[in-house]
Amino acid sequence: MHVAVRSVVDIAPSAPEDVCILDLEASTEHLLVATARHADAMYAVVEPYGTSLETGRRVALLARDLGLPRVALIANKVRGEQDMEAVAEYATANEIELAGAIPYDESFLEADRAGLAPLDYEPGARGVRAIHELAPRLLSG
Amino acid sequence: MAGKGGAGKTSITGTLARLFAQDGYRVLAIDNDLNPNLFLALGLPAERMRDLPTFPAEIVRQVNGGYELTMSLDEICADCSLAAPDGVTLLVAAQPKQAGTG
Repeated sequence: MHVAVRSVVDIAPSAPEDVCILDLEASTEHLLVATARHADAMYAVVEPYGTSLETGRRVALLARDLGLPRVALIANKVRGEQDMEAVAEYATANEIELAGAIPYDESFLEADRAGLAPLDYEPGARGVRAIHELAPRLLSG
Repeated sequence: MAGKGGAGKTSITGTLARLFAQDGYRVLAIDNDLNPNLFLALGLPAERMRDLPTFPAEIVRQVNGGYELTMSLDEICADCSLAAPDGVTLLVAAQPKQAGTG
């Protein structure tokens, strides 16, 4: 399955108007990074606290070792200035790019409960707006 | 997109995929999670869980110690992709785990 996914990512169209986005498994870090080896970038979604940041760091370093051109963290569920500072400090201390931050947004949980996509549940939610703002920054560089 | 379970990886991936598509990109979203939920985050109904098309094992074969695909991406998409809202094409790598079905 991983070999198949890796191969598909390798042949995915890469014209400027094409985006191939891969949702990797949460565990088995070595395997997941190997699956994404043909990608242009890997983003590790982290929550602004210790174990989540540590997982993000490990994944980022593995991806970097594998030669992915861009490796960065995306901070999620950020609940204020203090969270933001903690993530930014962690990224700087570990020399990992912080691509952006998404605020904690209750509507994502509500969307999940309602069985809807966050975008359909509340298209103007601040989390959705933050993701939209982040989107072009993920394709450049 | 990678991350610890519960960090919001799949919600972000699904939302990003839809927003890229709304902005005019051609988007191929691939769910490689063993618990494939990306279809939900993309806005497909939960009932689709029962008939999620997944990659057949035959799409790769071993050659000279490496692997190659036996089908083109168009063929793979024609055979086993799902059309998600805003024109996103979804490929699901793993069958959802359901009790009793293996």
